[in-house]
Amino acid sequence: MKIEAIRDSLKASVLAREDLLGAEVEDIYASDLMSDVLAFGLPNSLLLTGLASQQSLISAHMAEFKAVVLLRGKRAKDGAERFATEHSMVLMSTRLDMYDACVRIHALRDGNGVQPKELGTTQAVDNILLQQKFQIEGNDFSKAGYVSTEVKSMLKKIGVDPVLIRSVAISCYEAEMNVFMHALRAKVDLTVTPRLIEVMLTDEGKGIPDVEQAMQEGFTTATDDQRALGFGSGLGLPNIKRNTDELQVTSEVGKGTTLVMRFFLQRPGS
Amino acid sequence: MKIQELIQNLGLKPLSRFEDRDISGVFISDMMSDAMANAKSGNLWITVQTHKSIIPAANLVDVAAVIITSGKTVPQDTVELADRHAIALLSTDQPTFDLIGKLYGLGIATS
Repeated sequence: MKIEAIRDSLKASVLAREDLLGAEVEDIYASDLMSDVLAFGLPNSLLLTGLASQQSLISAHMAEFKAVVLLRGKRAKDGAERFATEHSMVLMSTRLDMYDACVRIHALRDGNGVQPKELGTTQAVDNILLQQKFQIEGNDFSKAGYVSTEVKSMLKKIGVDPVLIRSVAISCYEAEMNVFMHALRAKVDLTVTPRLIEVMLTDEGKGIPDVEQAMQEGFTTATDDQRALGFGSGLGLPNIKRNTDELQVTSEVGKGTTLVMRFFLQRPGS
Repeated sequence: MKIQELIQNLGLKPLSRFEDRDISGVFISDMMSDAMANAKSGNLWITVQTHKSIIPAANLVDVAAVIITSGKTVPQDTVELADRHAIALLSTDQPTFDLIGKLYGLGIATS
């Protein structure tokens, strides 16, 4: 489906990147829960959401979406338009609610007979080496997602396969949001060798009393305020596990948590 | 349309005990504050939120039923609370967008 056709059917106004309206999207994802978008959204999709903050745009960018539509006439908040502009996503706003918007796109899709396409194949990447350190300050919520965005851009620049970048980006963003919700600050070390990408995140914070419990889908200690942002629904760590080839979580109560996430460019032994 | 008909037509899985009633309109949101502000009495509320706080919200705005999409595992304390307030809590493996295609096919109007 062309983004332009969706704009017309939703009578949406374009807030950013009108120049990309001619692009095609392959699927639609409707949710206000950003972990859900990161877990189940397919690349090249369009996001329908009532969450008008920059977090929607960052999540969509991590999941390789092409466009975001804000529902019920919501205005883009805190830098969402700028983020969409910088990261080449169409941002639109419609007065419709989520149900009406879904219905109209279904009608459009049925009319066109467009089917979602299969994902592309992965390609091996050779001879790359990169090392970078980042710092996350947990108290400044307006910066949530900046390190993940930076990591994503760096991996893209050195030509890592987009499918793998997406897994790294999603895992980084979930881990970064955990720092904002549960810790004071964190250090992030990104290392890329020809064999793997490793992201180590070491936070200073309250730690996790029972790591096994925290890995269960739906387990959460987030506050209602945090859930209102579309995070904190107990999907973060399970989502990271789903996206990594290797995950180590070590934690000490009262001190902090260390996450080592590994993504293989070449399978060990191959 | 009544809740039981909807369950049969869409192959939904009922999780709680409830009294059958009429459905009028659909509201979709995963944000509690949004649902409390904008859902209407008798609506079908569709969400991926499974935290038990959805039940007081559903009770407060008097929605007819809550459908949890994307095959989310619903925690036991959420189901127990739904039982206690006789809120129809239903689930489906389909994502929200796909389910809406079916609802639209059944001719359920918007809120």
